[in-house]
Amino acid sequence: MKTEFQNNLTTKINLTVKPDRMSLFSSLLGQGFTLKIRTGISIRDLLCRQIDVSDDYLDQRIQTIFLDGKVVDNVDTAVVRQGSSLALSAAMPGLAGAVLRRGGTYAAMRSQISHKNNTVDDSAENGTVTLKLFNLVALELGPLFLKQGIWISGKNMGNFFRRVPDFFWDGCLTAEIDGNSQDVRKISLMEWRQEQVFLKLKTKKELHQQKLDIS
Amino acid sequence: MDKILRINMGDKNGPKASEGPLGDYAGLGGRGMTSAIISKEVPPLCHPLGKDNKLVIAPGLLSGSHAAQSGRASVGCKSPLTGGIKEANVGGQGAQVLARLGYAAIVLEGKPGDDTLYKVVIKKDGVEITPENSFKMLGNYDLVDKLKEEYGDKVACISIGPAGEMKMAAASIAFTNMEQRPTRHAGRGGVGAVMGAKGVKVIILDDTGMPTRSPKDPEKFKAANKAFVQGLKKHPITGEGLPAFGTNILTNVINEAGALPTHNFKTGRFDGAGNISGETQSEIMKARGGMVAHGCHKGCVIRCSGIYNDKDGNYITKRPEYETVWAHGGNCGIDDMDAIAELDRMDDDYGLDTIEMGATIGVAMEAGLAKFGDAQAAINLLKDVGKGTPLGRILGSGAAVTGKVFGVERVPVVKGQALPAYDPRSVQGMGVTYATSTMGADHTAGYAVTANILNVGGSVDPLKPEGQVELSRNLQIATAAIDATGMCLFIAFAILDQPETFNALVDMIGAFTGQDLTADDVTELGKNILSFERDFNSRAGFSAKDDRLPDFFKAEALPPHNVIFEVKDEDLDQVYNW
Repeated sequence: MKTEFQNNLTTKINLTVKPDRMSLFSSLLGQGFTLKIRTGISIRDLLCRQIDVSDDYLDQRIQTIFLDGKVVDNVDTAVVRQGSSLALSAAMPGLAGAVLRRGGTYAAMRSQISHKNNTVDDSAENGTVTLKLFNLVALELGPLFLKQGIWISGKNMGNFFRRVPDFFWDGCLTAEIDGNSQDVRKISLMEWRQEQVFLKLKTKKELHQQKLDIS
Repeated sequence: MDKILRINMGDKNGPKASEGPLGDYAGLGGRGMTSAIISKEVPPLCHPLGKDNKLVIAPGLLSGSHAAQSGRASVGCKSPLTGGIKEANVGGQGAQVLARLGYAAIVLEGKPGDDTLYKVVIKKDGVEITPENSFKMLGNYDLVDKLKEEYGDKVACISIGPAGEMKMAAASIAFTNMEQRPTRHAGRGGVGAVMGAKGVKVIILDDTGMPTRSPKDPEKFKAANKAFVQGLKKHPITGEGLPAFGTNILTNVINEAGALPTHNFKTGRFDGAGNISGETQSEIMKARGGMVAHGCHKGCVIRCSGIYNDKDGNYITKRPEYETVWAHGGNCGIDDMDAIAELDRMDDDYGLDTIEMGATIGVAMEAGLAKFGDAQAAINLLKDVGKGTPLGRILGSGAAVTGKVFGVERVPVVKGQALPAYDPRSVQGMGVTYATSTMGADHTAGYAVTANILNVGGSVDPLKPEGQVELSRNLQIATAAIDATGMCLFIAFAILDQPETFNALVDMIGAFTGQDLTADDVTELGKNILSFERDFNSRAGFSAKDDRLPDFFKAEALPPHNVIFEVKDEDLDQVYNW
């Protein structure tokens, strides 16, 4: 993944969790996180050339896409600009699901909220994009981003830790804030006023591997 | 399934049951059966709660067989909510058991001379109708618990709660699920009030000793059913999305589209959507030992339902569906999943349509009876409905009446029925269906079924403005046909995307009935059903002016996209021109 996460002024949280706790972060990923990435490029270029999402996954699995809240039909012509919000979902049920599906038979039924295609120009530049992952896409792509680390709003993260079920904490094995170890249970009690925090996850298996490597 | 059971609740000697052949109704099932009977036998100008109205309960054409997803029943009558014809579709065990008992329909007719409440027991050997006033004002959960003691846990129950007994226009009819819980509801249009007016508290269906219905060509049927199931399981919606997140998988996506009606249809986005999304809901359910993927009837392989427990692991309700989560959630500004689950449980227990009640509470909040976001106030308002206080009687009459009583202008109804969870300003094509459906605003009236594969109504140029009207028309025709089969509408996506799965469905129906279906047959069936319904509504006094959305959808721009409903009235009037 060719993204840039470095920012010394922001709080960094590293958690080590059991693998089955990873899915709990789906709801957090659905609220959006920030990517520092090249913008002014098509959705396909952003997902498949800047991030390691395969073309097949984009074409087959990601069936519903919103760019700045508008429904996208063509991932090759819709351009992600600086400050854009991009939401990714698998295919959805219901008439609404069929209507919102990209390039679907029923796309005409929501033409008022369809993204109007634009073209890639020469204005590609480093910038920030808010990415939202929903449902199966969150389960499948979420670990990729969480292991690299994501920038999220402190408020959203605080709400997430306050609402997360108790059993999450049994599977949260270690916690570090800005490099200092913390009691994992105390994280749910903390106030997160920062506009952005950097959250990075490791799973228990990786922790074991790391220890073995050291030894 | 070669007979119709009629129960005259108004006979001078007390309720009287009689069986008859199918006659003119041969070959009909589900919505085809209910709408044909209502259209032919019910005087369109009768009072919905009077002796001349009829309540028809009909399993689908394939119900009671081994066909996967064939457990839907249709409940029809003249609606106390809309004043027009009504078909409310429902899952649960009722359709399968009723079909195995050999009945293509149960028809409740007439009206008792007093307020005696009756229990109807239908078995292989006959029908028994007995007064049971001890059941008065019992909630559906307590009622079913009592029945379990007497009839065991294998029977299917079709019942009303206090709302139906009080003949509220938002009252539903409960069908028990596989665990014999009253969680599946024929919700829309006040069908529960009609059952209450007939004096029937519960119908108990016992199919002991009755075989599964046999297809005409067992080998072909078996092979087609197998291919159909494989198609459902391999599709990402029916095989993965719905089992993992239920229908509430839609909350995040509809919210992102700016189409989630919020604060009584003021905006299209809800800040708290993430807290009540399907993703969050599933994690809560898993953490509390609930069940994430669960069918509502035997033979369901999609399993979009589930079990929602409280913090201590005790059962509260089934997985609240998307429509419920929206109605009691975003529409009322409530982002507390536990509160929504409690409201869902109360709706099921009192016997109320969750969509109508959520929309009604939204209107009540707009009127100042409670603040948006106040979950406890919403619970208290619903308790008023269950108790039948004067305020509760108003709320239980639905959003339209509540809006009138409290002088609210923004009342989201068509033909008196509350709009479901998709704002028609963002999804205009759905607005066409809301406006023109014979049922009042209904998200399942024009479902995304196989209109395109069937080429119903010819091909549509989606780039033309009139394309939305054509799409809605075609979808309404195709949906009416599917509703007649007893198949769950969620099969739509597998048959829409996978031609081999669509072919398996057609083969399965053909092998079961012994008749080869063509696309033209299906189209004709759908048109016939809509024609019955349209004709009934016309004779009941409905006209083009009733096929309209409320004015505010054309006048108030919906954030965040700031769109209004733009489909012209003259285009809406073309939906039924075929």
